[in-house]
Amino acid sequence: MLDGVRRSCVESPDRNAFFIRDRFYSYRAFAEAICAIEDVLRNNFAEERNIGILAYDDLETYAAVFATWFAGKTMVPLGPSSPPDRNARIIEEAGVKVAFSSRSTEGLAGPLTRYGTDFVCTANLALAGAVPETRRISEDEIAYVLFTSGSTGIPKGVPISHGALQGFLDAFFALGYQIDANDRFLQMFDLTFDLSLMSYCVPLMIGACAYTVPSDGIKYTHIYRLLEEQDITCALMVPSILAHIRPFFSEISLPQMRYSLFCGEALYDDLVSEWSRCIPNALVQNVYGPTEATIFCLTYDCHRECANKTNNSIVSIGRPMQGTGVLLIDELLRPVGTGEKGELCLSGRQLTPGYWRNPEKTRDAFFLHDGHTYYRTGDICFSDPDGDLMYCGRLDHQVKIQGYRVELSEIEHHVREITGLNQIAAVTCPDAAGNTTIHLFLENYRGEIPDLIAGLKTRVPPYMIPAKIATLEAMPLNVNGKIDRPALSRRAQNPS
Amino acid sequence: MTMTPEQILAEVTQVFRQVFGNPSITVNETTEAKDIPEWDSLNHTTLIAEVEQHFRIKFSLREIMRFQNVGDMCTILRTKLGS
Repeated sequence: MLDGVRRSCVESPDRNAFFIRDRFYSYRAFAEAICAIEDVLRNNFAEERNIGILAYDDLETYAAVFATWFAGKTMVPLGPSSPPDRNARIIEEAGVKVAFSSRSTEGLAGPLTRYGTDFVCTANLALAGAVPETRRISEDEIAYVLFTSGSTGIPKGVPISHGALQGFLDAFFALGYQIDANDRFLQMFDLTFDLSLMSYCVPLMIGACAYTVPSDGIKYTHIYRLLEEQDITCALMVPSILAHIRPFFSEISLPQMRYSLFCGEALYDDLVSEWSRCIPNALVQNVYGPTEATIFCLTYDCHRECANKTNNSIVSIGRPMQGTGVLLIDELLRPVGTGEKGELCLSGRQLTPGYWRNPEKTRDAFFLHDGHTYYRTGDICFSDPDGDLMYCGRLDHQVKIQGYRVELSEIEHHVREITGLNQIAAVTCPDAAGNTTIHLFLENYRGEIPDLIAGLKTRVPPYMIPAKIATLEAMPLNVNGKIDRPALSRRAQNPS
Repeated sequence: MTMTPEQILAEVTQVFRQVFGNPSITVNETTEAKDIPEWDSLNHTTLIAEVEQHFRIKFSLREIMRFQNVGDMCTILRTKLGS
C-alpha cells in the first residue's frame, strides 16, 4: 500500500490527491507534507511506537497518517468531537506520548494533557523532502489501533497490522473494480472509523483523488453537494446518509456514479431500489465487516434486473472476500448447517491479533477451529444454498448508530455512574428518517435531564447521546423480573 | 407585502426555537449547524420543512444542499418572498 501511494506521489505529482473544503491538493503537496511530519518523527520521537493523530479534516492530518506509516509507526486517531476524557483514556491505554494536530496546540489543557503527551502542531512545518523514502514493512507491524464502544464503559482497542490492511486492499482490488486515476472517491468518515481507510487508501494507491467531508456540520448536505458538484464516481457510505436525502430522490440524478458501496448498518431493499434509480450507471454493493476484521470482508452485489436476496427486507451481506473464511456456529461453538441460524465468525488475513492489552476480552471473542483462529462477530446470520449470508440480528445489545458501533450497555454504564440509578435501559427507536436512535428510560429519576445529558457529553461521543430521555415511575418487567426491553422499544415508538 | 431582512431573520429565529425546543436560541446570518448543539441531520430536515411551511415557499434540492449558514437560507428566502 505504501509503495502504491509513494508511486502516485512520484509519477503524478501534479494530479490531485485530495479535495478538502473546496480546495484541491496535489500529490506533490501531499508528499511534501508527509516528509515534513516524518522528519519530525524521525528526529524527535524515534523510539515512540503509537502516534496520536487528532482527526481533523485537512491535508496535514492525512499526511500525518502516512508519515506515521512511512516512519514505521502505529497511528492512533483521536476524534476531536469525542469528549476529552474519552480521548485521554485512549491516550493512556495506547501509551500515546506524541500526537499530531493540524491546529494550534497552544493552550491545549485539561484531560488530553494528563498523560504528558507531546502535542505537535503540523501546520507550517519546515520542508524536509519531496517524496517519502520506500519502507519495508513487516506484516506483523501494527498500522493502527482503533477504539470502539466497550460494554463495560471502557473503549476497546482493536490493533490492525499492515498485513491485515494489505490483506483487505488485496481482497478489495481482487473484486475487480474498474477504477483508475480518473475516478473521484468520496471520503465521508471520521478517521476514527475504519471505513475511512478504504475511502482514502484506495484512491491514493491508484493516483486518484479523495473528496473529503468535514467532521462537523450537517454531513448529508456536504455529501450530496460533493456527489453532485464534483461528479463523484465511487462512494462508500452508511445507509443512514441515504435516509436523509431520500425525500429528494426524485430530483437526484447522478449518472457519473459507478460504484456505490454501503457498510456499517443494515441496508434495506426498498432504499436500494429507489437509490438505484438515482445512479443508473452504478453498481450498488452491500459490504460487511467488523473493525476486528479490517474495514469489510463480505460483499454482495445488488441487482437491477431482478430482486435482491433479503431477510426481513435487509439486503444480504453476501460472501467472503479473498483471504477471509466464514463459519456459523451455535452456542457450543459447533458449525450449523445451511439455512440454520448461527453466530457469524470470521477467519483469515484481515483479523486483528486480539484486543489491545485485553487478554480477557480477546479470549471471549476468539476461538480455534480446524487450525484457524475465528473472531466471533456477535451477528446472527444464516447461509443460503448459494453461500450468501443473510443477517438476522445481534446476540447482544450492540447497535449501529450512523454506522458507528454502540454498546447500549456502555451508555447504561455511564448513566448508572452519573445518576446512581440501577433501573435504567437504553433501547433503540427509528427516527422520522428511519435511522436508528437511542431512547433512554429511567425509573424514578429525580434529577434534571439536561444535567444527565451534560454528564454523558463528557463521557461518550456525540452519536451515543440518547435522542430522547424519559423517566417512568416503574419500569415494565418481564416474567423473569428483568426489565422488559421489547416493551420499552414499543413504548419508544408509540409514546402515549 | 415584502418583508425586511430583519423581519425574515426574526421569523426564522422563531422557527429555530420551535424546532429545537429551545426558546433562548439566537441566530444571525453567520450561524452554522456546528454553532447550535441541537442542530443535527434530523433536525436540519425538520427545520427546512418548518421554514417552508411557515413562509409558504418551497426550496429546491440544490438550494437546500447549499445552505452553509442561516444567512444563505435568508438570502434565498428574500428572493422567494421579495418579488
